[in-house]
Amino acid sequence: KMAGDSRFPDVDTDGSEKSEEMEIVVNVGGVRQVFYGDNLNQYPETRLAELVNCLSGGYDSIFSLCDDYDPGKREFYFDRDPDAFKCIIDVYYFGEIHMKKGICPICFKNEMEFWKVDLQFLDDCCKAHLSEKKEELEEIARRVQLILDDLGVDASESRWKRCQKCIWKFLEKPESSYPARVIAVLSFLFILISSVVMCVGTIPDLQVVDAEGNRMEHPTLDSIETACIGWFTMEYVLRLISSPNKLHFALSFMNIVDVLAILPFYISLTLTHLGAKLMELSNVQQAVQALRIMRIARIFKLARHSSGLQTLTYALKRSFKELGLLLMYLAVGIFVFSALGYTMEQSHPETLFKSIPQSFWWAIITMTTVGYGDIYPKTTLGKLNAAISFLCGVIAIALPIHPIINNFVRYYNKQRVLETAAKHELELMELNSAEGKAAGSRSELEDFSREGKDDPFYSSRIKVSHSDTFIHLLSEEKNYRTRLQSCK
Amino acid sequence: MPLGMNKHGSRSTTSLPPDPTEIVRSKACSRRVKLNVGGLAHEVLWRTLDRLPRTRLGKLRDCNTHDSLMEICDDYNLEENEYFFDRHPGAFTSILNFYRTGKLHMMEEMCALSFSQELDYWGVDEIYLESCCQARYHQKKEQMNEELKREAETLREREGEEFDNTCCAEKRKKLWDLLEKPNSSVAAKILAIISIMFIVLSTIALSLNTLPELQGVDEFGQTTDNPQLAHVEAVCIAWFTMEYLLRFLSSPKKWKFFKGPLNAIDLLAILPYYVTIFLTESNKSVLQFQNVRRVVQIFRIMRILRILKLARHSTGLQSLGFTLRRSYNELGLLILFLAMGIMIFSSLVFFAEKDEDDTKFKSIPASFWWATITMTTVGYGDIYPKTLLGKIVGGLCCIAGVLVIALPIPIIVNNFSEFYKEQKRQEKAIKRREALERAKRNGSIVSMNMKDAFARSIELMDIVVEKNGESIAKKDKVQDNHLSPSKWKWTKRTLSETSSSKSFETKEQGSPEKARSSSSPQHLNVQQLEDMYNKMAKTQSQPNLNTKESSQAGKQKEELEMETLPGPMVPLLATRTDGIIDMRSMSSIDSFISCAAEFPDTGRFSHSPLTALPCKGGISLLQEQGRPESSTPRYVEVNPGSESSHRSAFFIDSPKSSIKASNPLKLRSLKVNFMEEDTSTLVPASNVLRTYPDPLKSRGAAAAVTDTSLLSDRSLMSPETSIYTTASARTPPKSPEAQAAIAFNFHDAGIHKYIDADTDDEGQLMYDSSPPGNVSPKYSVANSGYLKQKDHVYRTEKNHLEAAALPTSPKVIGQNCIYSMEGITGRTQGNQETVRLENHISPEVHVLPGSGGHANTHDQSI
Repeated sequence: KMAGDSRFPDVDTDGSEKSEEMEIVVNVGGVRQVFYGDNLNQYPETRLAELVNCLSGGYDSIFSLCDDYDPGKREFYFDRDPDAFKCIIDVYYFGEIHMKKGICPICFKNEMEFWKVDLQFLDDCCKAHLSEKKEELEEIARRVQLILDDLGVDASESRWKRCQKCIWKFLEKPESSYPARVIAVLSFLFILISSVVMCVGTIPDLQVVDAEGNRMEHPTLDSIETACIGWFTMEYVLRLISSPNKLHFALSFMNIVDVLAILPFYISLTLTHLGAKLMELSNVQQAVQALRIMRIARIFKLARHSSGLQTLTYALKRSFKELGLLLMYLAVGIFVFSALGYTMEQSHPETLFKSIPQSFWWAIITMTTVGYGDIYPKTTLGKLNAAISFLCGVIAIALPIHPIINNFVRYYNKQRVLETAAKHELELMELNSAEGKAAGSRSELEDFSREGKDDPFYSSRIKVSHSDTFIHLLSEEKNYRTRLQSCK
Repeated sequence: MPLGMNKHGSRSTTSLPPDPTEIVRSKACSRRVKLNVGGLAHEVLWRTLDRLPRTRLGKLRDCNTHDSLMEICDDYNLEENEYFFDRHPGAFTSILNFYRTGKLHMMEEMCALSFSQELDYWGVDEIYLESCCQARYHQKKEQMNEELKREAETLREREGEEFDNTCCAEKRKKLWDLLEKPNSSVAAKILAIISIMFIVLSTIALSLNTLPELQGVDEFGQTTDNPQLAHVEAVCIAWFTMEYLLRFLSSPKKWKFFKGPLNAIDLLAILPYYVTIFLTESNKSVLQFQNVRRVVQIFRIMRILRILKLARHSTGLQSLGFTLRRSYNELGLLILFLAMGIMIFSSLVFFAEKDEDDTKFKSIPASFWWATITMTTVGYGDIYPKTLLGKIVGGLCCIAGVLVIALPIPIIVNNFSEFYKEQKRQEKAIKRREALERAKRNGSIVSMNMKDAFARSIELMDIVVEKNGESIAKKDKVQDNHLSPSKWKWTKRTLSETSSSKSFETKEQGSPEKARSSSSPQHLNVQQLEDMYNKMAKTQSQPNLNTKESSQAGKQKEELEMETLPGPMVPLLATRTDGIIDMRSMSSIDSFISCAAEFPDTGRFSHSPLTALPCKGGISLLQEQGRPESSTPRYVEVNPGSESSHRSAFFIDSPKSSIKASNPLKLRSLKVNFMEEDTSTLVPASNVLRTYPDPLKSRGAAAAVTDTSLLSDRSLMSPETSIYTTASARTPPKSPEAQAAIAFNFHDAGIHKYIDADTDDEGQLMYDSSPPGNVSPKYSVANSGYLKQKDHVYRTEKNHLEAAALPTSPKVIGQNCIYSMEGITGRTQGNQETVRLENHISPEVHVLPGSGGHANTHDQSI
């Protein structure tokens, strides 16, 4: 210790006297770089600036910051990636950092953290890349977490809890077991049947006339409907009971749809039985009729069983702006062309354009190129206007639709990637747990003896590093990885 | 780093393999270590490497002997504390970062397959890839595997078309080609066009038949076919039937043919006609029965299927079919979206419109039609909403329809374009393969197949099926000891084989040239050389060029051969003169070699190969250093001794200055040879050399030959030199890039040498097409390239460079000799030294290309 200090006077004097003009040589993974003290001190919180500032502190402080020091060449050695370092030092010269092409953004982020350079120095053009990757990772982590949650069966839990979990898995995870899959298919069929029944029930030939002359649904259809509703209700109640978080469950989109699918039936049931006492019969019947529309909601229940539909909703949610744009373009077009069409058709004695609001309909139908032909222009000018409105309609729809499609396709493709990623992550964990148990004990010892000898803070570093994937839960398993490594 | 290497090179000339204590001391004196991977220097703490002790780098520290070190790295320098690995530097950066941070990321532009090889080499498992890179990695890998699988399938299908099992195979094959492959001949093309015309004609007839003006009325008052059109129909059907039957008869696999979708369509196109005839004929009396009539009508409708026959003649239609098959997921999505939209909007509009008088929305199913027509924006106008609410729903329905239809379509389009691209690529690949086959039939290629590269992930689609097992087995073997330098042997030998075959082919094709330039000694003996080559091929049991035997299969036999060869050869060496004479004849084959030493100019030539060097390791600095050193004045300086030593020094000098990866033992072993010590390594070497040139003994000796013999008389070492030069001669016909790529990529642990076979194949094709005089554009480019480097005027040389195609073939033979020699020495001695020798001869092989050739031409010109 003493010897070290005595061999070190030049550093001390440099540090105290002229740290502004001082030069330090940094060797990062074999790449040498010379820095000036004042240059580094622009950003005093960074690791290099700290290094300059604590030169006077002797060996201990120096070695806490860098991995090696060569007193002869007065060179500080860091055992880090030189490529990333070359990018990061840009902050001292230009005040901003650009990621080198090809470096994984997550990896680069960690390097920045090591050099204690704030992420804000990363230029916006590269930040987008990073945040995209981060989102992806979070998504993977969420998926893995979900799967892990399902897998984790704690024997310590009470019987009721375990039972609850069992039901939950049974109903919510069709891929977990064979019976669960059967249940999912059954539920899908029920949705289909009830939708078909709803449609068929409106066919006049299949309706029966009751005593008061009102058309009623066929009794068999009615009973099928009741059975379906019974199934839906049971499903919902079981889900609700078994769900770990009741409030969260009740507020989620899919479950609201479920409620909407079953509620109208019960409301109309109560209304027909009790409503007569409270209000007039015709009112009750109107209300029941209105509630029938609500039955459509059950079609949305299909979304639970189709990832494509979920993707669609996601894409639409993501491209809210573009949808607004589309509607706005259309609205403007409709206004302009219906007004034009109305004025131009005024000259014709038997015009179909009776008012501007009425010609809105014509404008929509023309601009979306549907063209029913119930309203059409008869004058030459009106026909010209119709042609232009048709062209504009095509453009107005085509332009904003592109980003929506893009969103959809990207998300659709990403879905697959994420699925494989989560799968691999899980496979890896399985492998780790299986192999780790088998070979862990021996290699662990060996590994620890090594690590303990050479690098006490390395293991902690490894632990920190694995928070990379945002799966804190996995960090333990991931630590296994390094142990596993030694088995090879 | 070039600097370190040069130092290292100088050290190695003076010392034996370093002592273990020396190694330990060198390791102990620094906390850090320099790792030079493919020219990119890294510096890393020892303890960082210790974090993963089971990996290649982790083991590096525990290696305290020269042998074990050489197993792990390709070269090292103790003074500089530097270890050299001949691997891809880009991937290594990521891998080293794994040691540093515990996280394995992957460079984004890196190919997943190549990265996985690197991981294999460094002993890191791919599961340690971080999730952010893992997704991409696995996706790419899976995609690649899938693609290869598909390719394998198509290839297997092609292979299946073999007609050797039954009678008149020849004729059936011709017929099959005529009917199935319109591109195979003009007649086939015409046949295809006629077939298309018949299809069009029959569909037109079918449509015209329904025109009321053209229809007749039968006795029951039913409409019947127009008699003329019926004739047309009959002719068309006859043609289709004939076509189908011929195809069926000529098809190699009947059941597969029957199952094929296109053939099923064909069958469906002709069957209805016959069924109709059958029904009408058998039920003439009961034709009035309505149900028979209905059945007949149905079969009439089925005639429309014949339009699908066009798919056989249009790849576009086939791609469409394939796309639809492949994207049924997306199609299902599209239909699901539409169905849901229709369901929702039709029920909404029903509830909005049902109270209207005279409404057409009578029920939800009735309004399905409206919703469909609206969502697809067809809009007939037979049903339309009239209430305000209904109109709002209608508007929303239009917009939703546009959106919903537009969304999944790009994915389908993507699939289509991908498939289309893939098909194009495959067509190209097939063409290339056919060219290769042709070349092989010409007897010139021992093929290395590109597909072998992926052998471990999928079963191979190689030309010979049984080869697969072998190659995989071998791969395993190599992977087992992929740390050992013996790997080098394999790669090099494959190299030699391909290259030799290449030049062999050149030679063959260059036969007119031979006749023309028969005045020169080399050219006189082309036939002889060819014989010799064949003989060699036999003795070495190298894969016969005409068979499809793979290089790996050959190698194993070769190995056996090597073990047996040296024994009987020993007596031959008992008399030295004998050996020397043999050597002389050997060198006389490559007279140019010794001439190289004769002329000071050749000093320059000997370093021309340096042009190839930068590709090897990406060390361009070295080139700069090497060149001045090798220039003539320097050369004289270096060799102050006798003439013989002067020559030998020349040969020593040149490798030294130009070899990229300096090895402590390489030059030492060379030196030993020069010292005329009859070392054990040399004995078998000369033995082998002797055996091969035998057939050439009778050959008339040219002036150059005497030179050589003089030289060889003077020192034992001359065979060595000739070996070097001969071997080096391989390089000119080969492009430097290809050589470098093969030499260094093939050395990989996992997928080794086959990786670059692709480029190699292409090079091969180039040879096929290039005129025999100029071996290949690449060759002449290389030559002129270094001609420019020199400041001297080489008019004469230039002339000969162009004619140098022929000299290359003998050279290659010599090269083959050296490889076999390597194998033998390595086998018989088995000790470290010989292995080293073998290891280090080959660098020279790369180093000296062209020198011989140029010396030779120079000689002639003088």
